[in-house]
Amino acid sequence: MASKQKKMTPQQQKYQQLQQKHELKRPVLKNCIKAFWVGGLICTVGQAISYFYIYYFDFTEQNVGNPTVATMVFLSMLLTGFGVYDRLGQFAGAGSAVPVTGFGNAVISAAIEHRTEGFVLGVGGNMFKLAGSVILFGVFSAFVVALIKTLLGMWGVL
Amino acid sequence: MVYIIRIIISVCVTLLISCSQVQTEKDSQLALMKTTNPNPTVTEKNNGQEKVESIEREVESFDEIYDVAVVKGKKETLVVYKVKHMQRFRMKQIEKDLNKILEEKHPKEQFTVSSDYKIFLEAVRLIERKEHGNLSDKQAENRLNEILKMTSDIK
Repeated sequence: MASKQKKMTPQQQKYQQLQQKHELKRPVLKNCIKAFWVGGLICTVGQAISYFYIYYFDFTEQNVGNPTVATMVFLSMLLTGFGVYDRLGQFAGAGSAVPVTGFGNAVISAAIEHRTEGFVLGVGGNMFKLAGSVILFGVFSAFVVALIKTLLGMWGVL
Repeated sequence: MVYIIRIIISVCVTLLISCSQVQTEKDSQLALMKTTNPNPTVTEKNNGQEKVESIEREVESFDEIYDVAVVKGKKETLVVYKVKHMQRFRMKQIEKDLNKILEEKHPKEQFTVSSDYKIFLEAVRLIERKEHGNLSDKQAENRLNEILKMTSDIK
């Protein structure tokens, strides 16, 4: 950064100062509060869905996560299609992207974006453009953790 | 857009209203969310009621545990409990300690211990139906065996 400033001409430095003076500050705290509440609300909905599955179906606490995640992703996909989740994303930022619902949003928004390019090369080819990395690193990290757990189990640590 | 939001809200309200319909079995309806502390039960009448009460007292003496349901069958006794939120990191250790104490104090009994919400809910439902007289001793024993099987499946 310092070396960049050294290379700048006096005119450029003056402009930089002017730009810094007029630059709007990001409302970081406000954004964090919004993300916290919206993220919390999404998680509360998820908790309610998991209680629903425990209460009305034969799911235990250990395996209720699977249908809950599937339902949450499906709901966020529907909401993305209706255009509701985009607005929520604009309002809450990471609060709507970090929970698992953000995954559904990433898949469907990419599919909608590329639908004009055709179903195979457009929708099929680009659907996992964003979500593909999530799947890749998710599967890989799960493999590494399982490997570590297996080794620790074999050595008698766990 | 407004219509979609209205539809979502009305669906949520309908679901909430349908969930809050008056039923005779009230405790189990909220067993997942609030403390119920159901009375300890035996599937066969006059078969160790005092024993199950003492088992419940012993389990309740754990500081980490706040809600206990005990059901004693012919062979096995089911002990289900809820662990305080911040103590849930030590779930396995608590189960180990509980098993150890119960085996020490009641060496002749065979215990199945669980902290799973589903098992807790089913135990509360069983206790309620038994108390309301909706289940015979044999039916209660069969249901208990089903719950015990479910418990062993998830371990």
